[in-house]
Amino acid sequence: MALDKRLRESGLQSERLLWPTKGPSHYEDEVANLEQDVGLTTLEKAVAWAQTNSMWPDTFGLACCAIEMMSIVSSRYDIARFGMEPFRGSPRQADLLIVSGRVSHKMAAPLRQIYDQMLEPKWVIAMGACASSGGMFNNYAIVQSVDKIVPVDVYVPGCPPRPEQLVEGIIRLHEAVRAGVPPAYDVRSVAS
Amino acid sequence: MPAAVSEWDALPGLVEASERHHETTLVVTLESLVDAATYLRDESDFNFLSDLTAVDYLGWGERAVSGYIGTATGRDLNNPMTQGYQAVPLPKPKRFAVNYHLLSISERPRRVRLQTWVDEGEAVPTVVRVWPTADWHEREQFDLMGIVFDGHPNLVRILLDEDWDGHPLRKDYPIGGEPVRFSGQE
Amino acid sequence: MTATAPTRSRAPIYEGTRIPYPIPTVLTTPPSVLATGDVMTVNFGPNHPSTHGVLRLVVDLYGEDVTGLAAVVGYLHTGFEKNMEQKTWWKAIPYAPRMDYVSYQANEYVFVGAVEKLLEIDVPPKAVWMRTLLLELNRIHSHLVWLGTSALELGAISMFWYAFRERETILDLFELVAGYRMHTRYFQVGGLADDVPRGFYPEARSFCDGMPKAIDEYETLLTRNKIWLERTEGLGLLSADDAIALGQSGPVLRASGVDWDTRKVEPYLAYHQVDFRVPVFPEGDVYARYRVHMAEMRESVRIVEQCLERLERMEGEPWIADDRKVVLPPRHELHTSMESLIHHFKIVTEGFRVPEGEVYFAIESPRGELGCYVCSDGGPKPWRVKFRAPSFVALQATATCMTDALIADMIAVVGSLDTVMGEVDR
Repeated sequence: MALDKRLRESGLQSERLLWPTKGPSHYEDEVANLEQDVGLTTLEKAVAWAQTNSMWPDTFGLACCAIEMMSIVSSRYDIARFGMEPFRGSPRQADLLIVSGRVSHKMAAPLRQIYDQMLEPKWVIAMGACASSGGMFNNYAIVQSVDKIVPVDVYVPGCPPRPEQLVEGIIRLHEAVRAGVPPAYDVRSVAS
Repeated sequence: MPAAVSEWDALPGLVEASERHHETTLVVTLESLVDAATYLRDESDFNFLSDLTAVDYLGWGERAVSGYIGTATGRDLNNPMTQGYQAVPLPKPKRFAVNYHLLSISERPRRVRLQTWVDEGEAVPTVVRVWPTADWHEREQFDLMGIVFDGHPNLVRILLDEDWDGHPLRKDYPIGGEPVRFSGQE
Repeated sequence: MTATAPTRSRAPIYEGTRIPYPIPTVLTTPPSVLATGDVMTVNFGPNHPSTHGVLRLVVDLYGEDVTGLAAVVGYLHTGFEKNMEQKTWWKAIPYAPRMDYVSYQANEYVFVGAVEKLLEIDVPPKAVWMRTLLLELNRIHSHLVWLGTSALELGAISMFWYAFRERETILDLFELVAGYRMHTRYFQVGGLADDVPRGFYPEARSFCDGMPKAIDEYETLLTRNKIWLERTEGLGLLSADDAIALGQSGPVLRASGVDWDTRKVEPYLAYHQVDFRVPVFPEGDVYARYRVHMAEMRESVRIVEQCLERLERMEGEPWIADDRKVVLPPRHELHTSMESLIHHFKIVTEGFRVPEGEVYFAIESPRGELGCYVCSDGGPKPWRVKFRAPSFVALQATATCMTDALIADMIAVVGSLDTVMGEVDR
């Protein structure tokens, strides 16, 4: 498909149209719109290469997904090969916020505070079903999707996602950054 | 058959001692709760408070449910209630039951459940002076069920925000959450 | 209150009680120290690399001494208990493992076991032994995660990679059996969800052969390590009486000299048929808790080997109870038997019904006594479910353990209490 080819040409090899005959979804529309604006100069490409090759995450492990996030640091699913093994304790030194776990209403304020303390450019991965949509906890205590609080770049489904799934999400994020897709705060605001 | 002298006869404020599923439940009055707790800790060696649970029985018995429909081996024609006749469970004395699960870490290990009943608005005397571990347990039941513990040194909300309204685990508090929106639907 | 470091070497467990008054869980700065004007209140916020999840500690510091400590929890409160009341008994099972997300099968088992206690249903032996095996594997898994993260926090960074290397092997075993690494949802009311797959026993045997050598490696790195000893010996003291009064159980209680293990005292599953020792150390400090964890890992490997020996002879036996009122009938029966079809339909749509009653079922999770209180009104949904989380109770001991300690000790002490915030906040 034409859109599929354009995705691949801009470097987003992992993205696929899920249902080719159905027509583009919101995400593909978004990417298609961005493509007009995206045209990276060599300098921007170099900067994007540097950003993706050492995108340091912040230690924001909340619940079960945090245990699988710790697995990607371990030797089998090593993310040190992506340059990402130093999980920074301070958000001021981190580029990537992997929200791993369910966010309760009490935790929502600290989450936003941590996000605000990060310096731009910054990216957010919503890891797991609870961060993406509230998961199995559709109740009074859990915020139904972390994108109500911070703008999210990549949603990784799973309960908890396998380490490979999280690494796939990270790789897609890297590809998007290298293709020139701006971080989520430039593209969309928080959901309502 | 002569009535056996039960070991719980000397328990202050004992209303009922029952045994089901190999568990003993001792129901005491609210006023003698602390005395009963102290008696159990000192005389019967129940030095360990495992758990403190409050249960809200609002709406109990409104749905006609029966237990297990049929028995483990199938329908028992000689036992009418096992054919699936709906029965309403027996009503409870008050709205809330506060259960203290006690354990005796000693040469003679055993467990017992101390139970007391409260209504909405009644306060339960605290057992923090008897078992210090009750501190957070009582705070949690206050937070989630709204049961006030008299004499607790630090009765503030523990799991929810300080300024949260309501007590979520009560039966008249809604589950909350949001209606699930499907993609393609606006 | 001195400004110098307290002596480290082999301080005896103290006389009397150190539980703070009036609030047992809050250490309060004495007014004499407050009057100096040098006390700084620091917030170890919910997002912190060393607090095992979203725990917030509000600490009063006088120089490096911790004079005041209060723990604030609730940042992961999920409303598990209320959610479980909305679902049928079967559908409520996946909620349980997500509380203590490191020893998830213990949570699953405690809920399923409580429901089986109410139902008075008999579980077939194969399921009993397999459950024992999985619970012990989960115990090793939990201790490995504890070891990796606690050592990481104290600076022994490479322990994290070593411990997680073995952890991956255990997760491979879980994946082989249940289809997923974590939150396996393999326990069903009445037995197991499915048969034990082929190829599991040889894999488990090779794991058991390799694990003791791995534990030897960990001990070589830490047990006689001077830095580890300096940082863990003599700290976080908790006497046996204080531990019992504060409701401690599991490794914390056994490290204070109390010989109490629910698996030995009130055996459930197959624990009365396996041979294992319960490690007890009298010192009551962080180092003793470390020794208890290491010794427990070794004992768990022995239990797994014994379970494997029994299970290998149980090929072809049923893995779930035969009670059609509670357990789904085998699929091949649905083609021929009308009653099976109806039971299948009723169990899947409405859910099986559990007789009216209340029950409290306690097991020995890797953190201590994990209990589940279940109250049923006779219907297809639970009326009330409450989990007695050992970490919730362990955090209450932080104030007592942190008497006369430095700020650097706080990380060691909180780590040694082995808390998982998911079950603290539920």
